[in-house]
Amino acid sequence: MNIYETNYLDYAHKLVEFAQKNGANQVQIAISAAKHFTVEVREGNIEKLQNSSSSSLSLKVIVDEKVATANSSDLSQDTIEQLIKSTIKRASYSNPDKYALLPEKQEPTISYIDLKIFDPQVEEIPAEKKIIRAKEIEKIATSDKRIRLSLGSFFSTSIFEYYLTNSNGFSGINKSSRCNAGVWLQSGEGENQYQDGAMESAISFQFLPENEIIAKTAINRVCRMLGAKKIESRKVPVVFEPRMTASLLGFLASCLHGSAIYSNRSFLVGKLGQKIAGSNITLIDDPTLIAYPGSRPFDAEGVPSRQTTVIQNGILNSYLLDTYSARKLNLNSTGNAGGATNFYLKEGNLSQDEIIKSVDKGLLLVNTIGQGTVPTTGDISRGAFGLWIEKGEISFPVMEITFSGNLADILNNIEMIGNDPEKNRSIFGPTIKVAELTLSGK
Amino acid sequence: MKNRRDFLKTCGLGVGAFMINPNLPRLFSSEVQPKANNSLLDKFGLTKEDIKKILSTALEKGGEFADIFFEYKISSSLTLEEDIIKSSSENILFGLGIRVINGIQTGYAHTNDLRIEQILNTARIAGAIASDPKAKIKIANLDQINHQNNFYSLENNLTQSDLDYKITLIRRAYNSAIKKEYINKVVATLSDEIQYVAIANSDGELVFDIRPQARLVVVATAEKNGIKNTGSANAGGRIGRDYFEKIVKPETIGEKAADEAITLLTAKNAPVGEQIVVLSKDQSGVMIHEAVGHPLEADKNWRRSSIMWDKLNQMVANDIVTIYDDATIEGYRGSLNIDDEGIVTENVILIEKGKLVGYLNDRLSAKIMNHKLNGHGRRESYQHPPIPRMNNTILAQGDKDPEEIIESVKKGFYAITYQGGMVNDTGKFTFSVNLGYMIENGKLTYPVKNATLIGTNIQILKEVSMIGNDMGFFLGTCGKSGQSVPVTCGTPTLRIDRMTVGGAV
Repeated sequence: MNIYETNYLDYAHKLVEFAQKNGANQVQIAISAAKHFTVEVREGNIEKLQNSSSSSLSLKVIVDEKVATANSSDLSQDTIEQLIKSTIKRASYSNPDKYALLPEKQEPTISYIDLKIFDPQVEEIPAEKKIIRAKEIEKIATSDKRIRLSLGSFFSTSIFEYYLTNSNGFSGINKSSRCNAGVWLQSGEGENQYQDGAMESAISFQFLPENEIIAKTAINRVCRMLGAKKIESRKVPVVFEPRMTASLLGFLASCLHGSAIYSNRSFLVGKLGQKIAGSNITLIDDPTLIAYPGSRPFDAEGVPSRQTTVIQNGILNSYLLDTYSARKLNLNSTGNAGGATNFYLKEGNLSQDEIIKSVDKGLLLVNTIGQGTVPTTGDISRGAFGLWIEKGEISFPVMEITFSGNLADILNNIEMIGNDPEKNRSIFGPTIKVAELTLSGK
Repeated sequence: MKNRRDFLKTCGLGVGAFMINPNLPRLFSSEVQPKANNSLLDKFGLTKEDIKKILSTALEKGGEFADIFFEYKISSSLTLEEDIIKSSSENILFGLGIRVINGIQTGYAHTNDLRIEQILNTARIAGAIASDPKAKIKIANLDQINHQNNFYSLENNLTQSDLDYKITLIRRAYNSAIKKEYINKVVATLSDEIQYVAIANSDGELVFDIRPQARLVVVATAEKNGIKNTGSANAGGRIGRDYFEKIVKPETIGEKAADEAITLLTAKNAPVGEQIVVLSKDQSGVMIHEAVGHPLEADKNWRRSSIMWDKLNQMVANDIVTIYDDATIEGYRGSLNIDDEGIVTENVILIEKGKLVGYLNDRLSAKIMNHKLNGHGRRESYQHPPIPRMNNTILAQGDKDPEEIIESVKKGFYAITYQGGMVNDTGKFTFSVNLGYMIENGKLTYPVKNATLIGTNIQILKEVSMIGNDMGFFLGTCGKSGQSVPVTCGTPTLRIDRMTVGGAV
């Protein structure tokens, strides 16, 4: 049998049976197959064309409550059957862990087709069309005289297929598509250089923003930082652009993950049901949103997708749990095996302008650099780029400073919430104003 | 095309081992018996004639150079947490990537479907970058290049070791951390791999390498009066069992992680603002990696995006600063016999006594810049084209006693461990300090946490005023263009006269 010409789900079913025959009490088989195309353009020329299809198989076996896993990009039946046998043997070296059993079978209530996350036409887009878009985005971006250099533009498409089956009877297919386009630019001279860019992403070609919009976003982001200077260390209100709110939410998601909770490596351990944020904060994880980038019919263990209100009016309502961490915490899985899905802060009704107008002296945070996030304590300390706000108006760009604070404090001090989330990424939020953060500079 | 299964039977490599002796206690499939290099091509079921055909197919539309990267990698990992082995994992990576260079253009395609017709199709896709069939070049006969480099031994490698042995190793590390006061959570992970690579190119070269890699990581959480902190430590390299028996004991790794977490319990927030910063030897190499290494990767320089692109042969640092990247250190995590384009590696001097003298290059950038190849083309796997990368990046030892450096500071910040760092092409970088100390009147006083150091590379390189006669290494995994590769970075104790420290007030 040649796996590359067979139906992946049938193959996975056969492998589940094979593992059971060879002594596994429980088995999970997942096969991922992906097709990627990328064109990179710089200074008007194609610099790189990448085009590939690839697949991989991952398996988990449980024997007497003992777990072992394996992964292979060699999907041939010989290899996989041998791998299954060795994985079963290897499981005997693990310690029994009753929490590790596979989830009970539940039927997904929604399919990838209903979710509108897969556009088969993405695969049919001619290479020429993608190349032209990448070239045009760069051309528009570099037509602005303030742009010193293009770091390149790109256009990429991806098709993902995911087949999951297990010995509890779950069997599911997920397919999704993405089109991405972006450009990166530099402005400035000498030590006063700045780089930034813009990237957009959509499920279908026709949903991508116009080339002009992508290019203009990148131009604005890189040019507004021209002439940036350092400021004195101080504590001031900080306004987060939507992109920065999303980054903050990404850190929050990692602190909410079940494994961080049962491992005692999150500042949110033991806080379920308590007020952890201002009453204006409602945070949702929802993989069932139609045509959103983080949507999926089921998670990485076959647990059906559902909406989870993580924080409701400031109260911590739920963690993000997979089956294992849920059992450890005596809770139910929230279908978050594989992490957060569409994870977002409920928007408010203020425009970014209105929020900026409310600030006497403060910073509009536009970019960060570095790690500097500690889930155990919630501490944040990162390099920052921003625009100084003086009497409600953008005054001058600021760089080579850091901002620091603690996520627990920040969540309780979000004074204003905007109406402008950028929904092209799975973790998203609007402009927010945090009452006070420490900026370190001169 | 040979039958792929023959290789499994004859060499006992990979999962086939299990068929040979099912009673063997070595339960990872990777029962590796490194033999003749050629066996890797056998595993792919390809002859030299097949390879020539693939290369000429890749160049049938033109292009000046094509290569194939063959990879078979077995990696495994084992984790001990909450006092039990929860699971073990094994990963097999098996596939090939084909690249065509046409001027400054690159075409790349990869496949894990190893039927010859699929491989030829992959070659055509990679070749689509070119469109001048008249320029068709002839593929030279493939000659195996036998390089002399031998920077890692496959003796007693971890991937071959039995599971009981590995469990004992991580248990030792785990126990030494968990038994300490205030430590209430420990996770110990051992990861190891063996990567077999072959690179064949249209110049007729065929090169092989077999690369071991292992690392033991311990993460410990300490808690006291409701305050929690996490510390971590790791050790490893392209090493075998001897390393954990003779050079770094697992207990040392566990204790180090625990001690960091415990010290952080009493740490205060960093004082903010510009100050004198002393970087300890332990992990501060991450600054050299970020501030100097990345901006000196050749791809960013021929594209003129690096702040260093126009500074070759100019003074870019204080004249006490010499920085090099040496892929040839035996057993180091970032070392390689050959790079991922088949180029024999070497020690490349980047900054000599303050003067910029070199860039880290791959084939494409060396050709465009008309520089000599220096063996720094690397890739995460066959699924990625090679790009210029670091290996072991080092700031050379100086002559100062580290004590003397600390004593020279009236008030300043001493940085010890890091979460990591980041730099952009314009030379602005940050690195996040997990644990540091205050220096007051020439002495370390109290521990400090949650600090970020920020600067611009050109400025920092000029502010280095004292260099220690010691040396330490940070073991890292470096990310660039979506590709991760193992690296180390080393530095002695350094005094930086002025740097911005950020933290909470």
